[in-house]
Amino acid sequence: MATTLAPPRPKAYDNTFWKPISLWLTTTDHKLIGIMYMVTGFLSFLVGGIFALIMRLQLSTPNGTVLTADQYNELVSSHGVTMIFFFVTVFLTGIANYFVPIMIGARDMAFPRVNLLGFWLIPVSILVYYTGFFVPGGTLSAGWTGYPPLTELEYSTGLGTDLWIFSLVIWAISGIMASTNFLTTIVALRAPGMTLTRLPLFVWAQISTSILLLLVGAPLAAAMILLEMDRRFGTHFFATTGGRPVLYQHLFWFFGHPEVYIMILPGFGMISEIIPIFSRKPIFGYGSMVAALFSIVFLSMAVWAHHMFTVGMNIYVETFFMVMTMLIAVPTGIKFFNWIATAWKGSIEFKLPMKFAFGFLATFLIGGITGIYLSSVPVDTQLHQSYYVVAHLHYVLFGGSVFTIFAGIYYWFPKVTGRFLNETLGEWNFWTMFIGFNGTFLVMHTLGLEGMPRRIYTYPGGFGEEGWGATNMFITIMSFVIAFSVLIFMINVIWSWRRGEPAGDDPWEGNTLEWATSSPPAPYNFERVPPIRSFMPLRDIRMARELQASHAAGESGGGGGESGSS
Amino acid sequence: MATAIAVLAATAATPAFAASGLSPIVPNGVSPNGQAIHWLYLFISPFAAFIFLLVEGLLITIIIKYRRSRLPADYKPPQWHGNTKLEIAWTIGPALILACVGYFSFRTLQTDFVEPANAAGDVNIHIVAHRYGWDYEYSNGVKVDSEGLAAADDPMVIPANTMVRIRLDSIDVIHSFWVPDITGKTDAVPGYSNYTWMKVDQTGEWRGECAELCGPGHATMQIRVKAVTPAQYQAWLSQQKKKGSASTDSATVTPKPSPSPSPSPSPTASPTPSS
Repeated sequence: MATTLAPPRPKAYDNTFWKPISLWLTTTDHKLIGIMYMVTGFLSFLVGGIFALIMRLQLSTPNGTVLTADQYNELVSSHGVTMIFFFVTVFLTGIANYFVPIMIGARDMAFPRVNLLGFWLIPVSILVYYTGFFVPGGTLSAGWTGYPPLTELEYSTGLGTDLWIFSLVIWAISGIMASTNFLTTIVALRAPGMTLTRLPLFVWAQISTSILLLLVGAPLAAAMILLEMDRRFGTHFFATTGGRPVLYQHLFWFFGHPEVYIMILPGFGMISEIIPIFSRKPIFGYGSMVAALFSIVFLSMAVWAHHMFTVGMNIYVETFFMVMTMLIAVPTGIKFFNWIATAWKGSIEFKLPMKFAFGFLATFLIGGITGIYLSSVPVDTQLHQSYYVVAHLHYVLFGGSVFTIFAGIYYWFPKVTGRFLNETLGEWNFWTMFIGFNGTFLVMHTLGLEGMPRRIYTYPGGFGEEGWGATNMFITIMSFVIAFSVLIFMINVIWSWRRGEPAGDDPWEGNTLEWATSSPPAPYNFERVPPIRSFMPLRDIRMARELQASHAAGESGGGGGESGSS
Repeated sequence: MATAIAVLAATAATPAFAASGLSPIVPNGVSPNGQAIHWLYLFISPFAAFIFLLVEGLLITIIIKYRRSRLPADYKPPQWHGNTKLEIAWTIGPALILACVGYFSFRTLQTDFVEPANAAGDVNIHIVAHRYGWDYEYSNGVKVDSEGLAAADDPMVIPANTMVRIRLDSIDVIHSFWVPDITGKTDAVPGYSNYTWMKVDQTGEWRGECAELCGPGHATMQIRVKAVTPAQYQAWLSQQKKKGSASTDSATVTPKPSPSPSPSPSPTASPTPSS
């Protein structure tokens, strides 16, 4: 393998990864910005993962002494903030930044400089947040949701809480910039022939994600600024006297629930690209896939209070939110069955992207089903704020977002680097992750069902808690299997970046435009955008070529004309 | 039918899994509202199992049957672009299942999640949550202060087979009162009162703890509920009363009712239905 020669790469991209930092600071190339987003996101994933492992060590036995209560509360908050704001959303923005312009045949994003500014706000946001670890009083320790009055100055005196607020405001501004940019790009810069009904489903997913982030980014910033006013400027928006703590929960979850879909819809888009390619079939129900995306966008704006079924709402209000929550299962179900129908009777090649896509289908399903239990208000009063919810949300965000992100990485790595990720290491990566993930989180449901609340730094393990220790120990061991898996993945990426098997321009026989350009693409993306006659332009070209070839064969010597014109 | 069998099987299996660390279903509460939750959980389960088995079954079928390496070399997959009838079917199918689940959840909400009318003989307890413990104020002036890990020594004592109406307040941050083996949780939010109830059908002792992160002592904010016979309950009450008056006499001459840390005007206020 080492003797195989890599195809020549375009000059401008040679060694850019190690070129002076000035290039990375000033580039407006959406592909380099995309890579920076992804690297930032992945580093956050590592940090957030280490936080989780330390917490698992603390919880592996009753009355653990690895961490103090304060340290645990800081880690539990930082794990959530890091994974949700700094890893999943950032990484998905990176993938979209890299591929949305190419997939619509554009040369760059609509506002390249805004794109760069939007990216650099993310490291600023991350640094502001992590500064909290080094100030007196430590960082946020009220959970990633930061409910007042616990985050009011009276109970969280440290500067860390203020830094968290500033960090999220900066993050929200960055997200609004990116969303505006994506929407403008997709509306204004589509190549000739790329009508809306010919957009790849990943681009449709990015449209719906951007609409959501645009709608809820500002409410998040508003909630954060109101909280900061309470803390430092003497207002009482969320204070007990003169204000109402539950108002914060409404504002926060008005952002927070759509945020879940911001983290999963791009993944849905990637799966909709990957399954047809590796099944050698077109996507089943393109129209209903797009309709389902927008139903999810619409419904996800009206379900936020299902995070608040225990605060003492009127039962009719609760019923409204319960019904809306249940309704979201319908478009999600449509997507699931469409994916299955796409693969049904296909000719399926279980390459690594497809393995991760199936891993996603198999696990995300469980997150969807536990979501039905949680949507039922009475049942939710038992499961809310317990380890059942922790398991559920990890099935959605790990089984959902992380598995789709890995599917996307294995799928697009050849386009970004011109090389495949190593297959053997990839297999190890997939199976250890699949086993480690299910081992960790499937078992976690049972702790919640037995009454273990989330965010407790320890448990006595005595009366009524018999067996918690053993279960927690098992979960901790399995969580280290996930860590091992991520380690294999990192080795794979570092090794394959330079030494991986050369992939060529179109290794998977893709359908969408990114496979029509070189790997890696030139800074200008396309010398000539291919003609676009459907939502699978490359498949059209391939079929036209096959048709020509069979005609030529038929004219020259007969035989083999079975794939003739219809 | 399938539901009934599942319910029976699960009910039989519940005690075997209790406190094993591996319980597959929500606890069967010892109070009617907890039992309603348990019933709903079991009601949803056959649907959940059906969807789970259907989808995972289809995925496994695809993995086994349609692998390229097992198909003939000249196999050409059908190039379907969709099927309106099928797509409508898998829109309506899940919607019907959800309508069922939604209907029964709503019915349970109406019957078991509203405050029952105040009747003679009910016990009214005002729980005041604070960092990191619970004050149980009984309507006749008895007050039990259950602090942190000492909850086992100062349980909330209630009579069995009696309606216990609970009013929840918090004096600092948000807490959540949760005893899983009795019923679901209710938040104690500063600024307004929440209401819940329990009617425990047996004597016994159950653990619980605060379910809303409330600060560094959150994990220590344990709960212990002890249900005793009505006679034992009366005896316990008069014993507590004696202890309480003794301590107030010896300490400072505080007028009754003793000042409560709660923002409510009177600790003896009886709960009114929440809205």
